[in-house]
Amino acid sequence: MKTTHPRVRRALSAIVLAVGGLALSAAIWTSGSHGFALGVLAFYAVASMAAYRWAGGRSDLAAILGARGDERQRGLDRDATSIAGVSVMLVALVGAIVSVARTGNAGDFGVICLVGGTTYAAALAVLQRRR
Amino acid sequence: MRNRVRQLREGVGLTQGELGEHLGVSRQTVNSIENGRYLPSLPLALALAHFFATIIEEIFTEEEGK
Repeated sequence: MKTTHPRVRRALSAIVLAVGGLALSAAIWTSGSHGFALGVLAFYAVASMAAYRWAGGRSDLAAILGARGDERQRGLDRDATSIAGVSVMLVALVGAIVSVARTGNAGDFGVICLVGGTTYAAALAVLQRRR
Repeated sequence: MRNRVRQLREGVGLTQGELGEHLGVSRQTVNSIENGRYLPSLPLALALAHFFATIIEEIFTEEEGK
C-alpha cells in the first residue's frame, strides 16, 4: 500500500462504493425493479463522490478512508473492523439459531457463521506464526 | 503511563501538527499521545526520543500505584 499513488489511495473507498453500488443496482435491475435500481445507482454515485471528497480531508476518518492513516488511525480502523465483524457474527449466530428452530436448517445465516468461523481460525493460524 | 511529550514539544516551540509532520503521524495522534489516550508503538516512541534527543524513559514513565 505504501507504494500506491496517493490519488489511488484516496479513491479506494470511493471505488469500492462505486463498484459495490454498480453491482447492487445491476442485481436489482435484473430482478425487474428498474426504477429502484436507478435510485440505488444514483445514491451510490453520490456516496462515492462524497467519500472521495471526504478522503482528502485531515480528520482521522479521512485518513482511514484515504488509506493513509498513521499507526493510531490504522489501529482505529482495525478495532472498528473487528467490532463490526463481531456484531455481524452475533447477528448471524442468532439468525442461524432462529432459522434452525423454524425450518430445521441454519440456511444463509449458517453459511455466514461457517465462513466467519473458518476465516477466524485460518487468520489466527497464520497470524500466530507471524507474531 | 504518563508522558512529557507536550512539555518537550512546547519547549522547542512546535505545534502538534508540526511535531506530527516530523514524526510522520497526524496532529490527532500527537494530541492523543499527549493526553495519554494513545500509547505509541516502540518505533514511534523511539522516534519521539530521537527527535527530542533523549531516551524513552525520560519521556514515558509509569504512573505511581500501577
